[in-house]
Amino acid sequence: MMRRRIACAVPLCAVAVVLVSSGRDSVLAGSGATQASHVVKPVASPTWSHDVAPIVYAHCSTCHHPGGGGPFSLLSYGEARRWAPQIAIVTKSRFMPPWLPEPGYGDFADDRRLSDHDLEMIQTWIRKGMPEGNPAEAPAAPHYDSVWLLGKPDLILKVQHPYVLRAGGSDVFRNFILPYPLKQAHYIRAIQIVPGTPQIVHHANVIIDRTESLRHQHPNDWEYGVPGMELVVDSGNRFDPDSHFLFWKADTPVLTEPADMAWRLDPGNDLILNMHLKPSGKPETLDAQVGLYFTDEAPTKHPMLLQLDRDDVLDIPAGDAHFVVEDSLKLPVDVDVLGVYPHAHYLGHDLEGWAILPSGEKKWLVWIKNWDIDRQSVYRYKEPIYLPKGSVLHMKYTYDNSADNVHNPNSPPIRVKAGNRSVDEMSHLWVQVLPVHVAPHGPDPRLLLEVAWMKNRLTKLPGDRIGLYNLAAAYAGLGEYGEAIATYEQVLHLAPNDPGTLIALGAAMEGAGKWQEAEEMYRKAVGAAGGGRERCDAGFDLGAVELHHDDLTHAEADFKAQVEACPGDASGHAGLGDAYASEGRLDAAEAEFHASLGIDAENEAALLGLGELEENAGHLDDAMQHLSEASRVQPDSAEVHEQLARAYAQNGELGKALTELRATAALKPEDPTIHSALAQVLTATGDVDGAIAEQRTALKLMENDPDGWNNLGVLEAKLGRNAAARADFEHALRLQPEHAQAKANLARLGAER
Amino acid sequence: MRLPYHCAILLGLIVSWAGLRAEAAVTFGVDLKGHPVSRLAEASDRVVVLIFAASDCPIANRYIPVIDQLHTEFGSKGAHFWWVFPNPDDTAAIVLKHNHDFSIHEDSLLDTKQTLVRMAHARITPEAAVFVVRAGGLSEVYHGRIDDRYISLGQERPRPQRDDLEQAIAAALAGKAVQGPGGPAVGCSIEFLQP
Repeated sequence: MMRRRIACAVPLCAVAVVLVSSGRDSVLAGSGATQASHVVKPVASPTWSHDVAPIVYAHCSTCHHPGGGGPFSLLSYGEARRWAPQIAIVTKSRFMPPWLPEPGYGDFADDRRLSDHDLEMIQTWIRKGMPEGNPAEAPAAPHYDSVWLLGKPDLILKVQHPYVLRAGGSDVFRNFILPYPLKQAHYIRAIQIVPGTPQIVHHANVIIDRTESLRHQHPNDWEYGVPGMELVVDSGNRFDPDSHFLFWKADTPVLTEPADMAWRLDPGNDLILNMHLKPSGKPETLDAQVGLYFTDEAPTKHPMLLQLDRDDVLDIPAGDAHFVVEDSLKLPVDVDVLGVYPHAHYLGHDLEGWAILPSGEKKWLVWIKNWDIDRQSVYRYKEPIYLPKGSVLHMKYTYDNSADNVHNPNSPPIRVKAGNRSVDEMSHLWVQVLPVHVAPHGPDPRLLLEVAWMKNRLTKLPGDRIGLYNLAAAYAGLGEYGEAIATYEQVLHLAPNDPGTLIALGAAMEGAGKWQEAEEMYRKAVGAAGGGRERCDAGFDLGAVELHHDDLTHAEADFKAQVEACPGDASGHAGLGDAYASEGRLDAAEAEFHASLGIDAENEAALLGLGELEENAGHLDDAMQHLSEASRVQPDSAEVHEQLARAYAQNGELGKALTELRATAALKPEDPTIHSALAQVLTATGDVDGAIAEQRTALKLMENDPDGWNNLGVLEAKLGRNAAARADFEHALRLQPEHAQAKANLARLGAER
Repeated sequence: MRLPYHCAILLGLIVSWAGLRAEAAVTFGVDLKGHPVSRLAEASDRVVVLIFAASDCPIANRYIPVIDQLHTEFGSKGAHFWWVFPNPDDTAAIVLKHNHDFSIHEDSLLDTKQTLVRMAHARITPEAAVFVVRAGGLSEVYHGRIDDRYISLGQERPRPQRDDLEQAIAAALAGKAVQGPGGPAVGCSIEFLQP
């Protein structure tokens, strides 16, 4: 029933990206830096048809085609010849293809760097007058004629109002808010960003705003886009760290997740399209679209984005050409590193990221020797980089604030600090990690990472509110409520009446068993919040804690106040329904559950509550339908699986009941009652051996259960193991000498002997 | 192979285009209706500014608002601006559409025989040339980059720090010595006609 609020409520995660090569890339990719090792001497007289077209089609045409992100097309001999002088310059300087990482410092999946061989081939061809050769030898030019590369998306989101980029001037950074309009959550397996006018889009990030926070910051004009280079969004009260890089570049418009790493969109979420735009010389209309491809497969792998940063010490004197900042973070768990996203603004020059393993071994993550914000990207590894627990992530960034840095936005140079504007600076290294070797029933390793990350932040920024809040939330998630309470109290010291912190502190108190204090904290939060989402959260939590502790009178009153204050809060109606159900007012309860589902057809509490009512009333078909829906919405809810198992069992569908009970046991392996229930269902299916195994498991978890020993005895007796059965009945009677069934069973066993 | 750009002319260097007078029978390509252009300067013009461009050159296109601004600043003070399209593929139809798309208001001509390219020693788009109208003739006082936003292909400042062309036009109108550009023009090579 309780809402989870173990969360980083004020995420640092401004950016999320996934870089996946499109199918097209994988077909055409051929010559990366790794191929430079086997040197093939370029032919003496290369021709377009035989030698150069394959290179251009593989490395250039992905952007340079009509409608692509490149400013001109390279799909024919004539076009290549037209631009040959520029091709010679930009390939020789390695400005093109755009690829910043140094070869040998990270083996990346989508390495676009030309091999030395290919580079020399192009240079020789141009030097020798660009001969066409035999056109019949030329490969067919690739086709780029479909907008949606994976077929029609399941959902297309469009910017509310097309944005007109002015003709000239400096680059523009703008954020477009795309509300997720559906009333059902969906897992997303792939996303394609169609900017409309790709030539003016340098890069784009998609950020998930779980709480509509950016929209609320700009209530009057959000539909027209919001200026700004970087964003901070509130990730709400659920520990769901942004874990994916959702990053668009001209040649990778489709971002496909691995099958087991889909991401989720819930009703009420916004996607924020954070775009870096370059004026073209004429006003350009940008009507970007985002295509989403759904999957039913819930993710089984949960990566996490960690951030190393030293924004706190960015204070770069004017003229300083070698200003260095460093950060490091020790990993508390084993991880695979999946990708990195280095980020600075215009003064960044040399960006290094690496890890030192406990053995002392150094593993490079990335090295960019000549940073260029215009060519920034996410880099994903061909193979994950394994880092055992105790490894230390490092970043070292060097900034050039001299007049010699052509990217310097200030002339003459001025002192520069960290900030959101393009004339400010940043020092971020995002690292996408996937925890590995995770103990089946151990703590969520992402929470351990969060604790390490926030402690690291607090060593740099003692007393930082965001760091303290997120640390407290992670402690609460780990069940370390004492630490959580102490840390939330530090936050409250900084912001005494912050409703979000009061709510979170209440939850930690509840977790620590101090429910009266929690109730007081929620009540205080209701008063402090005034209105809005926090008022609704606090009101819900207040009613829920009262309900949980059978204070039905107050629960009903507070839930009534809740639905009045927050009529659109589906959970409030579900809570009131629960309160009515607990009071035995079943019709009123049913009405509230239906009201909740009218607002949110996937409200798990309402589905569960309604299912329970229907099950108790014997309306098993309805019960199974609602409980199945609850299970689909919340597949990790043991309560739902257990209730659904009960409905199936009552309906005689023992196989399905067994499946649900096993799912429950997987989620609650330490609960003896589930194993006892499994034993009962297995007995009914005739699998007595299986039933005995489950019953023994239950007794290992609750040894002093006379009923359990009696039941085990019955099962043993069914298989004719009378001595074992006798011992079990006697065990039951030692625990409870007056246990009537054990006595009777023992007597029956004696009579049969 | 040709260099993609050429070096700046020296400070104060004046190149006379001997024998060319605005009223002479020599033509400078054709306008977008196909009519020969025989006069680059009207009677009231004191300076002629040529902007070499190509409809498909992204860097040239990005400078259109800059030139528009210079035209606004100097057009009423005796500077006559011309967009010059020297590439053979830039036909009148293509340039008309281009000018419409980019809202180009200044005069445009097609340098079909690349007379102006040779006269101004242009090799790149965008590249500018400034001529002073002197005794009915044109004397080149500046040719080169518009400003220093682009250092080379791939090296670009967030905004220019030195507005070479603006300073050159202002100096030419004021009758002062004109400084040459501080660096090379950066952009797309002009497609030269084969001799």
